[in-house]
Amino acid sequence: MSLVHNFPFFSILLCMVAGIFSSMLKKEAAKWVTLSVSLGVLVLSAFTLHLTLGLDDNYPFMMGHVPAPWGNEIRIGRLEALMATGVSAVLFLSLIAGFYHAPAFVSEQKTNLYCIMVDLALAAVLVLIYTNDLFTVYVFIEIMTIASCALVVVRQNGHTLVAITRYMIMHLFGSGLLLLGIAMLYGITGHLLMEPLGIAVRQLVLTGQYNGPLTVVIALITAGLAIKSAMFPFHGWAPDTYAFAPPLSSAILSGIISKAYIFVMIKFFYRVVGMELIISQQVHQFLFICGVAGMIIASVLAISQRDIRRMIAYSSVAQIGYVYMGLGMGNTAGVEAAVFQMLVHATVKSVLFLSTYELINVSGDRKRFRYLHGAGYRNVPAGIVFTFAAMSMVGIPFTGGFIVKLNLAISGMAFGGWVRALVLIALAMSTLLNAVYFLHTVVSIYRRPTQELVYPAVDPMPRYAAAAMLASLLLIVYLGVGSEPILQVIETGLKTFS
Amino acid sequence: MEGLLLLVAILLPAVGSLMVVFLPWLNERREDRCFFVGAVMVLEFLVVLLIALDSERTLILFEMTKQLPIALRSDGTSRVFSALMSLMWTISGFYSFSYMKHEQNEKTYYAFYLMTLASLMALTLSGTMVTMYLFFEMMTFISMPMVLHNRSKEAVAAGIKYLIYSVAGATMGLLGIFMLTPNIASPYFVEGGSLMTGSLTIPHAAFQIILFITLVGFATKAGMFPMHGWLPTAHPVAPSPASAVLSGVITKAGVLAIFRMIFYVIGPDYLRGTWVQWALLGCATLTVFMGSMLALREKHIKKRLAYSSVSQVSYVLCGVFLLDTMALDGALLQMVFHALTKDALFLCAGAIIVKTGITRVDEMHNLGKNMPWTMWMFTICAISLVGIPPLGGFIAKWYIAEGALMAGTPVYSWLVPIVLLVSAMLTAGYLLPPSVSAFFGGMAHGEVASAYREKADPSAMMLVPIFILTLAILVLGIAPGFMIETFTKLANSLL
Amino acid sequence: MTLLLAIALPVALGALLPVFRLKTGNRNLYLMLATLLTSALCAYAIAVDIPALRLISLNNKLTITLRLDEQGKIFCALVAFLWPFAMLYAFNYMKDEHKQTSFFSFFLMSYGVTLGIAMSANLLTLYVFYEVLTLTTLPLVMHGGSQKSIRAGLKYLYYSLGGSAFAFIGLAYLVYFGGQTTFVPGGLFKGISLMHTQQLRLGYLLCFLGFSVKASVFPLHGWLPTAAVAPTPVTALLHAVAVVKSGVFAIIRVTYYSFGASVLAGSYAQYIPLALTTFTIVFGCTMALKEKHLKRRLAYSTVSNLSYILFGAMLLSAQGLTAGLMHLIFHALMKIVLFLAVGVYNKRANAYYVDQVRGLGTTLPLLGVVFTLSSLAMTGIPPLIGFISKWALAEAALLIGGPLPLMGVVALLISALLTGIYLMVPAVTMYTRPSQGNQLTPVEAGFKVTLATLSLVVLALSAYSIPLIDYLARTAAQAM
Repeated sequence: MSLVHNFPFFSILLCMVAGIFSSMLKKEAAKWVTLSVSLGVLVLSAFTLHLTLGLDDNYPFMMGHVPAPWGNEIRIGRLEALMATGVSAVLFLSLIAGFYHAPAFVSEQKTNLYCIMVDLALAAVLVLIYTNDLFTVYVFIEIMTIASCALVVVRQNGHTLVAITRYMIMHLFGSGLLLLGIAMLYGITGHLLMEPLGIAVRQLVLTGQYNGPLTVVIALITAGLAIKSAMFPFHGWAPDTYAFAPPLSSAILSGIISKAYIFVMIKFFYRVVGMELIISQQVHQFLFICGVAGMIIASVLAISQRDIRRMIAYSSVAQIGYVYMGLGMGNTAGVEAAVFQMLVHATVKSVLFLSTYELINVSGDRKRFRYLHGAGYRNVPAGIVFTFAAMSMVGIPFTGGFIVKLNLAISGMAFGGWVRALVLIALAMSTLLNAVYFLHTVVSIYRRPTQELVYPAVDPMPRYAAAAMLASLLLIVYLGVGSEPILQVIETGLKTFS
Repeated sequence: MEGLLLLVAILLPAVGSLMVVFLPWLNERREDRCFFVGAVMVLEFLVVLLIALDSERTLILFEMTKQLPIALRSDGTSRVFSALMSLMWTISGFYSFSYMKHEQNEKTYYAFYLMTLASLMALTLSGTMVTMYLFFEMMTFISMPMVLHNRSKEAVAAGIKYLIYSVAGATMGLLGIFMLTPNIASPYFVEGGSLMTGSLTIPHAAFQIILFITLVGFATKAGMFPMHGWLPTAHPVAPSPASAVLSGVITKAGVLAIFRMIFYVIGPDYLRGTWVQWALLGCATLTVFMGSMLALREKHIKKRLAYSSVSQVSYVLCGVFLLDTMALDGALLQMVFHALTKDALFLCAGAIIVKTGITRVDEMHNLGKNMPWTMWMFTICAISLVGIPPLGGFIAKWYIAEGALMAGTPVYSWLVPIVLLVSAMLTAGYLLPPSVSAFFGGMAHGEVASAYREKADPSAMMLVPIFILTLAILVLGIAPGFMIETFTKLANSLL
Repeated sequence: MTLLLAIALPVALGALLPVFRLKTGNRNLYLMLATLLTSALCAYAIAVDIPALRLISLNNKLTITLRLDEQGKIFCALVAFLWPFAMLYAFNYMKDEHKQTSFFSFFLMSYGVTLGIAMSANLLTLYVFYEVLTLTTLPLVMHGGSQKSIRAGLKYLYYSLGGSAFAFIGLAYLVYFGGQTTFVPGGLFKGISLMHTQQLRLGYLLCFLGFSVKASVFPLHGWLPTAAVAPTPVTALLHAVAVVKSGVFAIIRVTYYSFGASVLAGSYAQYIPLALTTFTIVFGCTMALKEKHLKRRLAYSTVSNLSYILFGAMLLSAQGLTAGLMHLIFHALMKIVLFLAVGVYNKRANAYYVDQVRGLGTTLPLLGVVFTLSSLAMTGIPPLIGFISKWALAEAALLIGGPLPLMGVVALLISALLTGIYLMVPAVTMYTRPSQGNQLTPVEAGFKVTLATLSLVVLALSAYSIPLIDYLARTAAQAM
């Protein structure tokens, strides 16, 4: 066991410690701590990834010295390491690009709190990525929910309060379902650790015992996670929350946190229940339908939005739909495509929220479209980044979004009849719909304003923020042209995931 | 090289036309230009005569693709048509030297006049379907500027109508050319046709429909129903010498095309007895009748003559569609006589309009006193057109009628003679009253007698061409032997 | 390497144009040099056989690769020949317009991207460049900046992306069933089982519909007449030559080099496109007849003529493809002349509608001749090139036989008639006397040179096109 093996544990620990530490620091220092923590996690995760690429299988890691099944355990494999690296990279870039405008939303005293919550959220995400036991899953999901709530509500206005109320109700409901499911599963099998749990479940399936309860468990857990990750039609909380939260929070929530829930779901399917059971229970069909419906309907709703931020929020829901469509296909290729989309979406959506804020900022803080005319000329880097991110959403080649579409299409082709048709048509329609609202916006920001509107002068975006955004842009393009190695990692990672 | 003369026949007027346009010294004085144009036309007629006397020659101009040669050939039909057209063109040309003094833009007129002659010669000398189509289209476009010569609103509208109808007709013809190309043994015109009836690429029923459409399309130029709409608008609005050649010559181009298609490509035997023949005969007969009826109602003299053309040219088509030697003979005779007659009539009308400003037939009474020469020639031509012996028109119509009776085509064997007869009466009805009133008309109520006392006969330059035509009508009417002989020989070789 | 350079050079130079901030004279020189250099590179690439160049690998089967085979050479030659002329014309046309720098920047970039389409070795590459072409031509369409222009641009965008989305489906089919997207003469699927054939046909049809947006087949043609609001160099080159011909080229590639004629022949996958194109042939002409605005009239004419090419291609025979390719080249030449001439009428004579061209034949004689010549050629008057390609199309159709090809021939003839009317009527109107004098500003030499040279090319080809036709026939035979 080399030092690197410990890195995942270190990364989690780092976040939590930093969180505690930040409560004592002044706001500037707290920001720096958070920033360094995310960078630290990125470095640690990168090393872990490198390590796991050299290993054949994933390895368990004992937390403390108490072995499983009584102690806690995390498991580290390629897929997990990749997700951790991706997530932390996105977070790092988002923090650089987003922190400087935090004072606009977060009052001085609350900055500490904000940084703590970011650290906590990151810790929770890492735990959920690496964890191997259901109880930890539940605990940290709750932690994440609360952290997310804090990240939103730190901005105090009427919109956020209403949004967060809806958010809390739905999320707690989802958590409740999750808890119920976990409890039932524990009751049936007596295990909380995923390995023995998985074996037990397979036993039960073979013997045919507890068929009903098993189905209920799967339904509860899936539904719970689905609600929390804003799968259509449980997405009701998402538009307002993402729209009215501080942009950095939206970036983190939509880009990173929602992915953690889905990752847990994948873990649950692969390790605990086993994909065969999922498929035989037709769960994947349900996810597929919801995913497809979300792709289309959320995009349609996005078109009718007057406020650009709500438009992007609905777009998030649509993109999550892509993930569920991939998951719902049930074959390995589909899940691979879904995971890749998670990475792409994290990168794109976070930078989208941040660049949108910049564009709004130079347009006199007005969010309606006609005020955004010419924003692309007032803030050139934000405009360029927004354009590329939009192109990725539509699925233009050379961006990550195109690879997602390609992989989803090819995995959909493996089926006959209506699944194939639905996949292809949904992708086609979604492309067009995304084009309608995203590329229309791109055109708007590069139009010369028709009326003589007065735009108050704002400080230009600091160079480092622009650099971070452009770095994200490069990442998007890299995902578009150099996706091959990443897809390989996902593929091999999934093989050893269960 | 062989067939050089054919090329000369086309290039001579074409080059002449270009010289008229581009050489400034030719255009300094009117007289120079007219002399030049006249010289070109006379030379052209001589070349055509030489071709007629020479034996059959072929000349391949170029190959558009390997299967589509553009070639000229001077067979029997070419010689007849080219001689007729060239002669008419020359005579009308001389008339126009005097007439066009009253119009503007003479340079463009003569340029297009000569160029149209070139395209007509090329058309008559075409040796393959595609060549004929090429020059057919070309001729439409080149002759159009003559129609819209005075650039008034009516002229432009008429020109465009002419264009649309002609292109429509040519397109219909092209359909047939497309369908026939894979089904004929040789792309060249072959006497009796070269259709491989045993192995058609499409079913007979469809083929016949297409043939019908094709022939109706080419008949547009000849003003046959249902594609006659352009003629009464286009002919009158052009300057009179142009109207003369439009009615007298260019309509014959449509006849030529039909001639070629039926006798040299499809073959009369395929068509005889089919519904295609009956339908075409129906259209032609209807046009004969309809043209005369409409001419009767029309008071403007040029329009009346135009409708008359519609009717008379369909006599020719009737004769052709009967697919009988005698009828064909008659058709060719009618063609010649109509060309001569209608040409002369239009030239007379032109003289009347230009000298007295009279355009309506009801204003023509007592005109004979002022323009005796003109009105005498008008009357003679009118009589010929009606078909009263011993003038030429009678022989032609007689042959057609007899051919109809002998051909034995159901219904038409008696219908055609009846329609011919009725039409003759109508023709008399619309041509003779003006002539009569010109000589014997009394004075209208309140008319001032002195208004018409001056001699208003046109100059010799205008009178002589009309005189030549009228003389030809008289002579050929009395002694048609040579013509009948030539035509019978031709008809026999084709049927 | 040459291939990559031919694409990258115009794209890079175009993208960098705003950076350099050149004066007009220098800028024009810069642009012309860039264009000519690229065309020279293309000429070299056409003359010499260059091996394929792999740029990016998505996995070992899906790559972005460049290669110039016979089919690509045809399109490449056409584009490389016409772009310098269009550039020269644009210098004069855009003299007094605003936002010239961004215009020329995207104009030059589009050149590179179009070449990318011609040089694609597989469908993925073609798809990539196709999408990018939509994006680089979008600012050109919206150049006017007015509400109308922006709407036209958005319409173009949505139609194009919608079309690409469906073409993407074809791509998915190819990858799944063929494992690769490389263009292979005869298609990837020679000798495949029947069950797969059925599925492939469906995929092909969707793909055809997708690419047929840019190729303006009814009912997906709606963007083209609206896009006529763009400046004339854009309409002329992009919408008569580059963009729309890219759509046609893509369909030819997908039909013959991806799915293959053997899979498609005799099935609904052939009949539906044949029916749509036949309808579009007549539809385009009918709409052109109703349209009084000159550029929109020509746009509808393009809609109709593109379907001539596709009709020939969808006959799925060597002769059909040859005829289609002939018309691809001939139409590009004839149509670009017409658009450029109309552009001059718009700018210098303030004539935008058919009835406004009165008298321009006598006041602007060269333009009148050029316009009349191209109109005659488009109508299909022998011996001009329009007739040659129409004849070839009819011949190919009749060789196949059957009701649909026959209807196609009839459609061709009806279209010829309608074309004669809607083109010759303005041509004739030009020579009539105007009610008052024409308001003219002088016509620069650049316009005249461009138009005269292109017309001479039309004439030259009319006289002597046999070697070209032979080359096209050889290419077509190979593609079967």
